[in-house]
Order: sequence, then structure tokens, then C-alpha cells
Amino acid sequence: MLISAILVCLIATFSTAWFSHLVTRTWLYPIWSGFLVALAMGDPIRGMQAAAYINLAYLGWITAGGTMPGNLMIAGVFGTALTLVSGADPKLAVTFAVPFSMLGILSWQIYMTVNSIWVHKADKYAEEGNIKGVVLMNFVPSTILSFIINGIPAFLMVYYGGTFMKNLLNSIPVSLVNALLVVGALMPALGIAMLLQFLGKKKIIPFFFLGFFASVYLKLDVMALAVFGGLIALIMFYNDSKNSNTAKEGEA
Amino acid sequence: MSTEKILTKESSPIIKEKIKLRKRDLIFHWMLGYSSETCYNYERLQALGATVAMVPIIKRLYKSKEDISSALKRYLVFFNTEPSFIGPIIPGITASMEEQRANGAEISSEDINSLRTGLMGPMAGIGDTVCQGITYPILAGIACSLALAGNIAGPIIFEVGFKLIMILTGYSMYMLGYKKGKSAIIDILKSGTLARITEAFGIIGLFVVGGMAAQRVSVVVPLVYHIGKVALNIQHVLDSLLPGLIPLLITVGAWQLLNKKVKPIYVIILMFVVGISCSYLGILGIPVTK
Repeated sequence: MLISAILVCLIATFSTAWFSHLVTRTWLYPIWSGFLVALAMGDPIRGMQAAAYINLAYLGWITAGGTMPGNLMIAGVFGTALTLVSGADPKLAVTFAVPFSMLGILSWQIYMTVNSIWVHKADKYAEEGNIKGVVLMNFVPSTILSFIINGIPAFLMVYYGGTFMKNLLNSIPVSLVNALLVVGALMPALGIAMLLQFLGKKKIIPFFFLGFFASVYLKLDVMALAVFGGLIALIMFYNDSKNSNTAKEGEA
Repeated sequence: MSTEKILTKESSPIIKEKIKLRKRDLIFHWMLGYSSETCYNYERLQALGATVAMVPIIKRLYKSKEDISSALKRYLVFFNTEPSFIGPIIPGITASMEEQRANGAEISSEDINSLRTGLMGPMAGIGDTVCQGITYPILAGIACSLALAGNIAGPIIFEVGFKLIMILTGYSMYMLGYKKGKSAIIDILKSGTLARITEAFGIIGLFVVGGMAAQRVSVVVPLVYHIGKVALNIQHVLDSLLPGLIPLLITVGAWQLLNKKVKPIYVIILMFVVGISCSYLGILGIPVTK
């Protein structure tokens, strides 16, 4: 248990302190960070399913410009770990994850705010032409900060949280469990809505509905949707280029 | 490029040897760009990370303390883009400008930074579309389906697929930026090609998440009315009317709320309230088969 707790602590730390996206870019997403937690806790199959249930709630989640309307990393790491320590049904993972991800907004804001200090230190080193100092400021303090605000709580939860969570889980009535499952089933709508808002220029909104009904009536799965979506996009792109070219020739 | 070479050959007796960036400097620069968000912060976002990524370039091009200091300070300004997929074109262009500057070209700090600032928005637009609008939902959708079926290939496909697409696009965008310099990208911006590419990618993203809305917003109406001996199952009625009507209404409803500038966190809270109360009232439930 101690080793599991230490590993989960490290996963929690680096899922926020992204030392290099060559490694950590996918640690943002519950399906991978949750799977890492599942491996660390020695329960890959159930943990992976918990991670998948959590990730489904965050499909289409867009984070831009450092704003995060719910902490994805906390949701993936803490949600999966809580499901496993409490021995809950993986289906319930999302209902653990969502409240934690909302608390996680606070830890994300602390992280993003405090990190500004290191940039000012880096300013001083830059003034002196001290390359090592600047590099140090980028990598070290933010990692320590993430260890304190994400890593340590994750360690405590895995190491000491088991019995508490099991008792809590047993005290939740079945009707509330069912209600929370409904909330979990509603959640993907938000992520999809966020993506709609991000991508949805009026001209291309119909493609959302096309995809929706292609799935409802033709039962296309995700890969099939991607293939047909890609082809439609290609056709539209070439038609568009042709139109704009002929328009230009017309002007000339 | 060719004319430049001829010029330097002619004037080579006067000017000392040109400093060229080596391939490994460029590769280090590109790779360090993936640490742009290590010290992510509200004040200057990716400024410090982008500065650190420049270190291999700065070390090669500048030797004096003053030059190094001014180069470091040049990059410690507000910067934020999508740094992994499409955004690497910006450091690519920056490296080529920095190389020209070190060789005596008339390029000021302001020139470099106005180009970076001008490009970071459009590149974030197309980069986020490719990364968060297409790659992530498609791979996560596939991975989650496999994972729920107990297949360990799910998360592995996600990890490998995501990184492969990220590294291939990121590397080629960086090298494109370095080789073509600022001219190529400005042409693309002017002709409106970029807007069309972004739109084409947007179509793929919308098409796929449209399907996901149907598959993943999985609530049903479990109400059953008994009229005499006939049981009227509301969900069956809805299905014969328009399958997927409820998920569609919920998704479009959430989208309208976001359009009205309601913060996502309030939408989550609303979902908790609506989901829990509707479940207790028996209006909403989850499908039994799944």
C-alpha cells in the first residue's frame, strides 16, 4: 500500500506539473492518468474501467488559455484512486471524480497564481544572463508546488482513506447512487457543448447534427464517424478552395 | 535562400564566418518547447517555458553576457499558444529569425515579438481544434469503449496514438516554420487558407462529437403509464418519434447555456440538481442494458 500511495502521489504531482508534454501531455486525460493510477494500485482492469467512466464525462472538454472549468487531472487521478480504495463499482467513479474536480479548480488557481512568482525570479536571472537560473525556475519550483497541493493529498487519500471511504460508500443509499449515475450520464453533454461552442461557427453547425443522426440511425461507431467526418471535411475544403479561386479569377 | 548565399559569398572577405544553427539545436529547441507549460502561470502563461526552450538556440548564437541576457529577456514576455501540435511552427520561425539577427540582419526584439504575438492566437485556434477538438475526442471515444469492455488496449491506443500524432505534427510544423521563415505563414494567413483549414478540421470535430452526443449522453425516461391494461412506455414513444431526442435536447440545452455566458461550473451544478431530482421523481434514468 505504501508503494501504491507513493506512486499515486507522483502521478498526481506530474499530472499537473507538466515537466514535458512529450510525456505528460496525455496525463491531463483521465483515461490515461487513471490507467496509470490503476497500474500503481495493482488493479488495472477495474481501475481502467473507472478511468473510462470518468473520461466519458469529460469528452470534448476544452481548456484554453489556462482556464479550466473543472480540474481534469484531479478528476482522473483522485476519481480512479477513490474508486479503487473504496472498492466501489467503477460506474460510480464519475460521481467521485466530479466533486473532486470542482475542488480541484481551487488547487489549479493556486498553482497558476503562485507560479507567477517563479517567473519574476527568472526575470532576475535573465538580467544577469544566468541561463541555469532561468532553467531551474522553469522546472523545479512548480514541481514542488504541485507535489504539495496535489501529490501529498493523493498520498494521504490512498494510504489512509480506505476505511473512511468504504464506510462512506456503505452509508450512501441505493436511491442516491442511482441518482448520481444519472448525473454521470448527463455530464458528457457539457463537454460536448463546450466543444460545440468552441468549434461551432454557424456555417458548420449542421455537421454536428449530421454526426448525431448518423450515429442514431446508421449506428456508426467513433472510428466510422472519424472516417466519414474526415472525408466530408476534405470535400468541403476542396469545394471551398475551388469557389474562392473562381471568385478570385472573376475579380481579375 | 539562394540569393542570400551568393551575397554572403561575395562579401565573405569582410564579414566573419556566419553562425549557423545545427540540426541538434533545432531538435532540442523543438523538444524543449514541450516544457512550455511546466511553469504555467496566470501572469505570463507560457513565457518562462518558451524562454527555456530557446536556450539551445541562444547558446549557439550568442556568446557575451549582454547578448545572452537581452535574448533571455526578449522571450520572458506574455506568450500563450497551443504548444504541442500546431504551435511549434512559432518557435520554428523564431529560430530562423534569431539566426538571421545573430548574423547581422536588421531584426529587432520588437519584430520577433510582434510576429510571435500575432501568430499565437491563430495557431492556438487551429492547434486546439486539431488537438482538443479532434485527436482527443476521437481517441478517447475509442479508448473508453475498449476500456469499458475490459480491453487493456484502450488506454494504450490512446497514449500511443495521441503521442504519435502530436510528435509527427509538432516536429513537421516546427521544421516548416524554421525552413520557410515568416514569409510562408504570412501568405497562408493572408489568403484565408488558414481559416479554411481550421473550418475543415472543425467539421471533423463536430461530426464526431455529434455522434458521441448520441452514444454517450445515455439517459432515458423510465416513466410507464398504465391505461387500463395497456402499459404506455414513454421512452418507446419518444424513440418512435425521434430516437435520441432526450440526449439531443440536453446537449443543445447545455450549449445554449454556454452561449449565454453561463460558466461551465454552474452547468455542472445544474446537472447535479436536475439529475438527482429527476432521478428521484422517476423522470430520468440510465438505460438498463448498458
